[in-house]
Amino acid sequence: MLPLGVRLRILLRLPLLQASWNYERMQSLGVLYILYPALRFIYRDEDLVLACRRHLEYFNTHPFMAGPILGTTLALEEERSLHAEGSLDVSEFKGMIMAPFAAMGDAFFWGGLRPLFAALALLLAAAGFWWAPLAFLLFFNLPHGLALIAGLRGGYRQGLGMIGRVQRYRLPDLAVRCKEGTALLLGALSAVLVADTLRSAEVASAWGPCALLPVLLLGGLARLGVSNLILILLMSAALLVFFG
Amino acid sequence: MAWSLDYLYAGLVALLVGLDRTAVLQLLICRPIVAAPLTGWVLGDFQLGLQAGTLLELLWLGRLPVGAAIPPDDTQIAVGGTTLALMMGASAGADGLPMLLLCLLVALPLGKCGQIFDHLARQGNGLLLIRAEQELARRRPAAATRWHLLGLGFFALASLGTYLGIILPGSLLLPWLAPYLLAKVGDAAPWLALAFPLVGIAVFLGALRNRRILFLFLMAFLLVYFLREGF
Repeated sequence: MLPLGVRLRILLRLPLLQASWNYERMQSLGVLYILYPALRFIYRDEDLVLACRRHLEYFNTHPFMAGPILGTTLALEEERSLHAEGSLDVSEFKGMIMAPFAAMGDAFFWGGLRPLFAALALLLAAAGFWWAPLAFLLFFNLPHGLALIAGLRGGYRQGLGMIGRVQRYRLPDLAVRCKEGTALLLGALSAVLVADTLRSAEVASAWGPCALLPVLLLGGLARLGVSNLILILLMSAALLVFFG
Repeated sequence: MAWSLDYLYAGLVALLVGLDRTAVLQLLICRPIVAAPLTGWVLGDFQLGLQAGTLLELLWLGRLPVGAAIPPDDTQIAVGGTTLALMMGASAGADGLPMLLLCLLVALPLGKCGQIFDHLARQGNGLLLIRAEQELARRRPAAATRWHLLGLGFFALASLGTYLGIILPGSLLLPWLAPYLLAKVGDAAPWLALAFPLVGIAVFLGALRNRRILFLFLMAFLLVYFLREGF
C-alpha cells in the first residue's frame, strides 16, 4: 500500500495532467509527472527508469476520467512490482481503457453537463441573479471533483474492478438525459429572451414564435458547415443594415 | 497610468482563465459566463462583464475540446471584449450595451488568433517531451518529470498572446469604427443582444442532429413563451 503522503501528492498533481499536452503523445508526460511519486516509491534504479519509459508512451483520455484510470494503473504497478500472477500489463491496460473512457468523459462532461449547467446559469442570469456564474461553477465542479478524487481512490483500491463500476454509472445514457434537459432549458431561455426583446422594442408579442424560424435556419446552415463566427457576423451585419 | 494598470489586471485574468482552459484544473472559470464577469469585477463593472458572458457563452458551447481539435478561444474573446468595452467605452465616453456589442463584434474575428497561439503552445510542448526522453536516457527520471511543468509557460504565453492579439488591434480599430458604427449598433442593440444567444442555440441544436431534442426545445419555447405572454 502506498503511503498517504504519496497518494496525496498524486491527487494534487492530477489536475496538471494536460500541462504539457502535445501532438506527439498528448498527455503522456503528464501521466509520468502524476505517477512519479508512486513509481519512485515502488521502484529503484534501472526499474524506475524502465517504469518511467513505460508511462511516457502515448496516452490520451478525458482529463476528468484520468482519476480512475491512473488509480487502477497504480494498483497494477504495485502488483507488477510484487510479480503477481495473472495481472494485466500496465501499458496494455492504459491502451485498452483510455479511448472508451475518453469517449464517455467527452459525452458526459463536455457534451452533457457543461451545456446543461451553462443553460441553467444563463437562465438564472436572465432572471437577474448575479450569482449565476458561481452556481455554474458549483454545479459543474461537484461531479468533476468527485470523478477525480473518488475515481483515483476507487481505481487504486478496486484495481480492474473499477471498470465495471464506472460502466454501471451509464454515463452515455446520462449524457443523453443531460442533452434533453439542456434543450428544455434553452427553449425556456429563448422564450424569455425573445419576449423581453419584443417588449423592449415595442413589437407585438404575437411575433414571438417567429424567432424559431431563424433558429431552425441557422441550425441548418451550421449543419452544412457554416462556422459560428460567420453566422454571428452575417446575422449582426443583417441586423445593422435593417435596424441601424 | 491607471488605465494601463487596468489592462495589466485584465491580462492577469486572461492568464489565469487561459490556463484553466487546457493546462490546469479545468474548473471552467475559462467559460465566458465566468471569465467575462470576473474581468468586469476586476475592472470595476461586474454587471457589464456578466452581460458579455451571457452573450458569448452559447456561441461555441457545442464545440468540444476533444483530442487534437482546438476550439475557438471564447475565453480570451470574453476577457478581451469585456476589457475593450470598459476601457474604450470610458475613454470615448460611450458605455453600456451598444459599446459592449461593438467591442464583441471586433473581438470575435480577432480571437481567431487564439487557435494559432494554442497550436504553437502544443507544438512547443512536443519539445518538452523530447527533453524528458533525453533525461530518461541519462537515467535522470526526476529531471524528466520537471519538463512537464514548463508546458504551463507555453500555455500561459498562448493565453497572453491571444489577449494581446485582441486588445492591441481592438484598441486601434475601435476609435476608428465607433464614430461610424456606434449609433447603428445602439439602434439595433436589443436585436443584436438577442442574436448572439440565438445563433449559439441554433448551432448547438444543429450539431446534435436529434429530432427528439429539437422537439423538446420547440415545446419548451412555446410553453414558456405563451405562459409568459398569454395565449
